[in-house]
Amino acid sequence: MKSLHPLTWWIWSLLLIGAVIATNSAWVAGLAIAVAAISVHQFAEDAPWAKSFWFSLRLGAIILFIRTVVGVLIGVPIPGTKLFTVPILPLPSWIAGIRIGGVVTQERLLSSIHEGLIIIAVICLFGAAVSLTSPHKLLRVTPVVIYEFGVATVIATSALPQLVQSVARIRRARTLRGDEKPSWRSIAIPLLEDSLSRSLELAAAMDSRGYGVSRKRSRYRPIPWRQIDSVVVASALCVLSLALVLR
Amino acid sequence: MINFSNVSLIYPTSTKTILEDLSFSIVEGELVLVIGSTGTGKTSLLQLINGLVPHHTGGILAGDITVDGISTKLVRPGELAHLVGIVGQNPSQGFVTDTVEEELAFGMEALNLAPDLMRKRVEEILDLLALAHLRNRAISTLSGGEQQRVAIGSALVMHPKVLVLDEPTSALDPIAAEEVLSILHRLVHDLSLTVVIAEHRLERVIGFADRIIHIAGDGNAKIDLPETILKNADIAPPIVHLARALGLSDVGLSVRDVRRMTETIRDTGKDVENVLHTLGDERILAKDLTIKYGSQVVLKSLNVSVRAGEIVALMGRNGAGKSSLLTALVGLQKPTSGTSHICGKASNDLKGSVRREAVGFIPQEPSDLLYGQSVVGECSQGDKDNQIATGTTFALLQRIVPSISPNTHPRDLSEGQRLALALSIVLSAQPQVLILDEPTRGLDYQSKALLIGLLQNYSRELGRCVLIATHDVELVAELADRVIFLADGEIVADGPTLDILLSSPAFAPQVAKVMSPRRWLTVADVIAAMES
Repeated sequence: MKSLHPLTWWIWSLLLIGAVIATNSAWVAGLAIAVAAISVHQFAEDAPWAKSFWFSLRLGAIILFIRTVVGVLIGVPIPGTKLFTVPILPLPSWIAGIRIGGVVTQERLLSSIHEGLIIIAVICLFGAAVSLTSPHKLLRVTPVVIYEFGVATVIATSALPQLVQSVARIRRARTLRGDEKPSWRSIAIPLLEDSLSRSLELAAAMDSRGYGVSRKRSRYRPIPWRQIDSVVVASALCVLSLALVLR
Repeated sequence: MINFSNVSLIYPTSTKTILEDLSFSIVEGELVLVIGSTGTGKTSLLQLINGLVPHHTGGILAGDITVDGISTKLVRPGELAHLVGIVGQNPSQGFVTDTVEEELAFGMEALNLAPDLMRKRVEEILDLLALAHLRNRAISTLSGGEQQRVAIGSALVMHPKVLVLDEPTSALDPIAAEEVLSILHRLVHDLSLTVVIAEHRLERVIGFADRIIHIAGDGNAKIDLPETILKNADIAPPIVHLARALGLSDVGLSVRDVRRMTETIRDTGKDVENVLHTLGDERILAKDLTIKYGSQVVLKSLNVSVRAGEIVALMGRNGAGKSSLLTALVGLQKPTSGTSHICGKASNDLKGSVRREAVGFIPQEPSDLLYGQSVVGECSQGDKDNQIATGTTFALLQRIVPSISPNTHPRDLSEGQRLALALSIVLSAQPQVLILDEPTRGLDYQSKALLIGLLQNYSRELGRCVLIATHDVELVAELADRVIFLADGEIVADGPTLDILLSSPAFAPQVAKVMSPRRWLTVADVIAAMES
């Protein structure tokens, strides 16, 4: 399949994010994650940024876990079926209203998971858009008027895939030092340095090649908006309007 | 064309002036080479020309720089894009688009040139740089040499009057480097393009340079004819070292010149007997090693063995499968079929301290191995890992680079220092096998000499084996006992360094070209032949 217009998947994912938030339902969120996964599996090209989705899925899982634990332990108790009890942590009297620990009810657990799922869906849809669109093509269709925005978009959208690549590279190197389970900190430091220096280098390259000098930009080979792009966007629009109607 | 008047540069975070009161001018159609040890400010000098320094990097600039009459202080780098083309050290990190054609067009699109003009210029560049067959390829799938050509093309397509290149051949094999340089040579002579190049491997570029800027490192810089600069400079290609060692009155810069001066030596010199080292048992053993990525076969059933006490160089063109072979040998990559053993153990099963003591690997980016907050922190981690006395690793490091300060952050070290740090951490475990991937990329001659001495000691005195993948023929000539030559995933030659390097002119070191048909590879060989 010929690749779609770079904006198509972004519009598609933004509309679906809208639908997920509008319906505020865990089922829709789960469905959205599944749809995103299938789309990425089907349509993503074999490019470095295509792995971003699976990375965002993992990130989402970590967020869900933390969100659930925090949501269950801290906050206002919701009455309902009692699952188990966590001892209440005594807090000074001046923060009355917040409770750590206590009875964990099924309702409380479910509401935490529910909110977490919606966050994951948003992250995954964003990750899917990154995976499905070449950041370089995206830059070509970004109007020069928002020059700073253009540079920032390219750097931000190419940062995630680069992060994924760099993690793999650093992990491998670490194995060589006989360090099979490297700590997060030991990966994060070279990683941060790596992506920062790459981003700076990219920005310098764009700058020295005259990006943003002229307010108008010509097109060498314009990227056409084809029928299939309209179909993809229309389908997402349908989902969003359905979500708004059924709400 | 380029005019520096009383230029001084200092970065706010450093106390050292990079350049001090530098004045020179470069005329149209001149090819100027910038030389200096690592970390002396070659890149800064290049980036001053199109204003990336100080507009992009910060720093305090005094004096004035003009390019074709425009002062770089007054305009942004982008506004010089039609005048100055710049190709960075890592072209792959500066690509903004996905395919070759789009990349070539990017700069012109940004300057809002008419589409038909763009078409014409893209075709022109595709032909000039022999890229036409790659026009629709994704840039990430190109080899290093092809990427370098695309980067040069995307600068040239703007029809600049000045082309600035930062180490254009450091990642390239000798043949690809030759291609790139001969294109530049043609542009200078045919189109009167002004070219400024920074390069460590002088033996590759020296024949093309009209003048040399030598940055001393203490803020001083000299610009003069190559002969004059190289007569006294500490940085010099092997051919100049040869002239110095033989006490020739003139410094010849081309093989032809020096050949004429050394006729008698070729006639009278005696052949040196090869000293054979006694070799131990097999330390690296790979049998029928095959690696496939998808349908692409990268390595085709290779058999490799390296014995204790041996230094073996792995050579071949960009994309021949050298890195894949190394990663399979150290056990980072599971081969599709075949086996690889290090010290009798399967490479894939090596773990923890057993791995550290069996094999040490320095990847292309030595900084991948480093994660500490300071040099001394890294070293003490090495001590702890290997359960050796505190300070051993740092002492080893100080033997290699005595000037290193213990509290520096590894990121702030120069290329050579970083390699030394990674090397001392790996060596502190005293591995039986040491494997290095392109260790001399970005290294100056001084650091290279240190590296050669260190590896020789390690292999000869301790009887360990060393395997190096490299494009650097001079390094191979100085260091290796044996060369394995890879092409397209197969071993096409495997034999003593002397035989392999002399069999192809493209891979022959400078001294060998001068002394052909005599079988001498290095300055030391020639001196030995004279004395015996």
